[in-house]
Amino acid sequence: MINIQDIRDTARDMLAKGEARMVIGYRRGTRGMLAEPAFITDPAQADDLVWDPTCFNNLSLYLVHDKKFLAHMRENPKGPVAVVAKGCDARSIVVLLQEHYFKREDVYILGVSCEGAGVVDERKLAPLLNGERPSAAAFDGDDFVFTTAAGEKRLAAREVMADRCLECRAPYPKEHNLVFGEDKTGRQLEAPFAALERFEAQDAGQRWDAWSQHFDRCMRCFACRSVCPMCYCDECVVDSITFPVTAGTTAEEKATRIKWIERSATRSENITYLMTRAMHLAGRCTDCGECERACPVNVPIRMLNNKMEREAREKFGFEPGASIGGPSLVATFLDSDPGQFIR
Amino acid sequence: MEKILDKKQIDGWVAALTEHPQGVGRGCNAAEAATTTLWEVHTPALDEGIWTYQPANGTARLDHPNTKQSPKEFAFPQREIFFSFEQIKGEAPRLTQIVPKEQRHAVFGVRPCDGRGVPRMDKVFTDHIEDKYYTSRRKNIAYVGLACNKPPSPNCFCLSVGGSPVSSDGLDVQMTDLGDRYFVKAITETGKAMMAAGGKLFADPSAADQKLLKKTHDDAVAYPQRKINDPDGAPAKLRANFDSPLWQEMAQACIGCGICTFLCPTCHCFDINDEVHNKAPLSGQRVRTWDNCQFPDFTMHSSGHNPREGTGARLRQRVNHKFQYFHENFGMHQCTGCGRCVSECPVGIDIVTVVNKVTEHVG
Repeated sequence: MINIQDIRDTARDMLAKGEARMVIGYRRGTRGMLAEPAFITDPAQADDLVWDPTCFNNLSLYLVHDKKFLAHMRENPKGPVAVVAKGCDARSIVVLLQEHYFKREDVYILGVSCEGAGVVDERKLAPLLNGERPSAAAFDGDDFVFTTAAGEKRLAAREVMADRCLECRAPYPKEHNLVFGEDKTGRQLEAPFAALERFEAQDAGQRWDAWSQHFDRCMRCFACRSVCPMCYCDECVVDSITFPVTAGTTAEEKATRIKWIERSATRSENITYLMTRAMHLAGRCTDCGECERACPVNVPIRMLNNKMEREAREKFGFEPGASIGGPSLVATFLDSDPGQFIR
Repeated sequence: MEKILDKKQIDGWVAALTEHPQGVGRGCNAAEAATTTLWEVHTPALDEGIWTYQPANGTARLDHPNTKQSPKEFAFPQREIFFSFEQIKGEAPRLTQIVPKEQRHAVFGVRPCDGRGVPRMDKVFTDHIEDKYYTSRRKNIAYVGLACNKPPSPNCFCLSVGGSPVSSDGLDVQMTDLGDRYFVKAITETGKAMMAAGGKLFADPSAADQKLLKKTHDDAVAYPQRKINDPDGAPAKLRANFDSPLWQEMAQACIGCGICTFLCPTCHCFDINDEVHNKAPLSGQRVRTWDNCQFPDFTMHSSGHNPREGTGARLRQRVNHKFQYFHENFGMHQCTGCGRCVSECPVGIDIVTVVNKVTEHVG
């Protein structure tokens, strides 16, 4: 059981001693029970930090934001950023380190173990609360406890936990500077890829029908891309931000520049976008599931990434974000790699 | 016109509208009426766990909280084709305008906040310059509203922005749920005609119905909501705080996605692109799509300069547009307090908190 006061004390100390220039954690938001990202630089604000089942966000995203912001401002401040990281979030940091996005000494990982529980899925929770609106959520052993106007409501965590947490194989942040909570790896409640396999039990026609509807619903708000720490490209395939336009660029060149994906949120464009993203995340996605949670129209995006992850695991025995010095799925060649396709 | 409709009769009314022999839409002439005699009825339905407007298929189910997306898509679809083009070498380019189909749409279950979005969108697309694509859809749409007996979302704040859970602004018909029956009130001539189409399905309200309506409405207004503390002072204070460091601070968590504006009932920014389908001979379509002030390339100049480069500047753009620029241009807040942007933000950015913080900021 994690005592939040330990995390607060650590954050306060680190900031006061100048051991970190910022602590990124979670604090209570202003809209009901949900926690939100907190960026703490003043030791006095360390007491704002919280740890509860609504701490969804993969905060490693903000290490990417921080690096981009500093590059833009041409600033180079001293000291690492300390970041609160769950198992999946810490694995994201490992992938970013493998890709040399920043240096290990630039980040101080305050690992938090999910201890076999995880985060709540609001979509599962809502129907169980009969319209009651919770103002707070807390861990309690194998249960989540929600505070509502009608009193406390205790629910078995597995009933309202996000699928990604039910299937999580590594709720303990192996890569860390400091860790809070016990290592309870192996307490996963469902088999890995369970949601994917339930879906794949259908025939091809049913799967296509389901995905056609998902692709049609997508509005291309890009929340899935924007919330993903792995989607750090300066220019994404769907944007044309860095198309170089000079005084000599002709109208025709502007009009006929390569646009891989049109702005229209139509099925063909949405498929191209979501498939491209899934391919680019193969071997990099650590299944934090933020893309799927953020999606306002319930596209099961995680399933696409899971499919790639399972493929990599079966073919190459690959676990994304396992260790900093470990291999990369697409950049490492091993003699043991299956080679049928290049014979 | 005020009537009572038994809940069991709502399917009958939907059927009557669908089969109504005469077009009754706004600005509809006889020739148009001859080609468009039916209403296409849309009603909120639960699909893959989200409430969306779907074709009614003979029934209107009005037990939704609010829809995930606002009904703005009926008059302002996310994708609108303006014209198609074709260029055959040696010939003049051929352009074919694509005009929205003349078809009446009755949108049921519109919440008061979304109803109030309608006149705001009308201002944008008809003031000074008429946007024909917008108006040609808009004149054929009727909004059948449903008052909120209690706030459908924990982040509702319509009362803070001049609205009300029982407002009929922008609606053609207002319905209020009275338990086993609806109190139905025509707001516009179109609304009257739609109710007339229901004929004997409607009964006259009794004194008890009127009394219950008043109590229901009074209770709805008294229900606690989230609150913007000084909406009237917001335009001046936002103007004064344009350069405040608060913006960057409040937007630190912003990921630059488009959820807040795509779901908003009044966000209307758009982009126009040529979608080339064939290179030889050159052909394609000119298409308008929703744009989004939170996207990094929203104000990107072709020079590479971007005046709204950071998330702070872009959050300020969204909030100032709602609470300052629109107010200065049209004398009303553009925000109608539906709370979608608050509830759906993946990182907790909350326009109520943002406006309160900025308006309470001294300096």
